[in-house]
Amino acid sequence: MAAKRNACIIAGGMCKWGVREASLVDMAQEAAKECLEDIPALKPKDIDGFLFATSYAGRCSFQVNTAPVIAERLGLKPTSICARVDVLCAGGSTAILMAKGLVESGMADIVMVAGGEKLYTPQKWEVFYSELASIDHDWDAPNGLGLPPPFFALIAKEHMKHYGTTKEQLAWVSVVNYNYGAENPKAQFQKKLTLEEALGAPPVVPPLTLYDCCPITDGAAAVIIACEEKAKDLTDRPLVYIRGGAQASLHSVSANWPGEHLADWAHLRVAAKRAYEMAKVGPEEVDVAETHDCFSISEVVEVEELGFCKKGEGGSFVESGQTKIGGKIPINTDGGLLSCGHPFGATGIRQGIEIMRQLQGRARFQVEGAEIGLTHNLSGLNVEHTIVIYGREPVK
Amino acid sequence: MAVLGIPILEDKYPVTMDMWPLQAKEFNRIYKFYEHLREGRFTTTRCRTCGHVAYPPRVICPECYSEDLEWIDLPKRGKVLNFTEEVRGVPLGFESPLIHAWIDLGEGSPIKRILSRIINCPVGKLQEGSEVQLVVFEVPSHPIEVKKDTKWVERVFFAFEPVEK
Ligand SMILES: [Zn+2]
Repeated sequence: MAAKRNACIIAGGMCKWGVREASLVDMAQEAAKECLEDIPALKPKDIDGFLFATSYAGRCSFQVNTAPVIAERLGLKPTSICARVDVLCAGGSTAILMAKGLVESGMADIVMVAGGEKLYTPQKWEVFYSELASIDHDWDAPNGLGLPPPFFALIAKEHMKHYGTTKEQLAWVSVVNYNYGAENPKAQFQKKLTLEEALGAPPVVPPLTLYDCCPITDGAAAVIIACEEKAKDLTDRPLVYIRGGAQASLHSVSANWPGEHLADWAHLRVAAKRAYEMAKVGPEEVDVAETHDCFSISEVVEVEELGFCKKGEGGSFVESGQTKIGGKIPINTDGGLLSCGHPFGATGIRQGIEIMRQLQGRARFQVEGAEIGLTHNLSGLNVEHTIVIYGREPVK
Repeated sequence: MAVLGIPILEDKYPVTMDMWPLQAKEFNRIYKFYEHLREGRFTTTRCRTCGHVAYPPRVICPECYSEDLEWIDLPKRGKVLNFTEEVRGVPLGFESPLIHAWIDLGEGSPIKRILSRIINCPVGKLQEGSEVQLVVFEVPSHPIEVKKDTKWVERVFFAFEPVEK
């Protein structure tokens, strides 16, 4: 029997994220250039597979079948796979998991996984109007739930009601993540944030205020996923393996929410259990993580459901500094969604880049000796959860 | 009705770009849900083969894949478990305040909870435990082409409102 093939993440890059004077196709080129500059031995012609994660190309750029369009601009001529991936906010992580499967099955050897969104259209009303497509069109969109702040405000109120979480604890999520992002030149905001500023910010949907919410963002990112043999030929850096992952989608319409209440994310627990089993690690072995902080409250619930702390203690976990460097598990060390922004299809790829750098020992805020890293996304109206677990060693 | 700035769409209603469901029977096999709303009924489908109640309504049973379904009524009243009030930044197509509530439809209901918009309610009125009831309203109508004719289709949707005005 042939030896098991392992998939590694070996390079990554992203363009400047924010309100960009550039098209989706332009930003994909900027991200791909930085990605290939991260691995000089790799040439575009060596890449045999291409996955592009985007959700709004059809709506905001009037462009479907996006992958061949972008592949051509990047000088890629994929011969194993060339496809678009759409899982909205989790599209990038989904494409990374798909690339793992393609590489490990032997269908592909070297896959570029890229993603991006161009969300700022020429007229501002359309930017917000487009987002109504993010959720179940016939049942939740007509209730005005397409822009996510009301739903996550409701989750925050539920967490406060059931577990006594405070507004100040939510603010600490923003303070920690903004202060990581302040040093990240690619982030939408390079702003040091104080607790006083966070608490004094204008309301969005109470109890959420300005710094509790990630912005709308244009951006793109790209990584290279290769089989272990090719990876060893292409780079002398420590190899980072994709050990496992999972994606759980238990409902779509909000009325079918799978938890006991809205601060109980049963679907995240299901995804986490399966991802940890596949990666053969437990939450206590994760050294560094990127969680989906689309809102401050999201990270509070996620650290609980991912098993980093007990259920209900997410607020005090963050407030007590456990997500800072030196804490129990540093989280969102590149700034997270709150500071980097959130061009949906690119977000999971940005997270993958940060975890790769952490495990290779070249992150901006380095977690010393990090061996296991985890990324997490949710998408839409909190309708699915996606987890990728990376490690310095393959699963044995 | 014209789409300003897009000359080729002048006098067109791009219905695929609005947030309301296509309710015409030419485009939707669960159009009876909307007919029932017009009669003041809040309904969904139950499987005659296995008894499973699904919401939203289906054309197959998601448990046993039977097509033998019947319409049943859901409670039109519920209790607010939690709620939010949005005053600024309300999306196009909705009015401020945009209020949402997580509503308990009661022990007897096959669908326990629903997340809905609350209308006919000023900011500050709603409380945890407030009783709310179904309210049906008209939303924009649109043209459809049926063979060579153009037919105008009226549409409705639902929300909840406080029982005590
Ligand atoms: Zn059935």
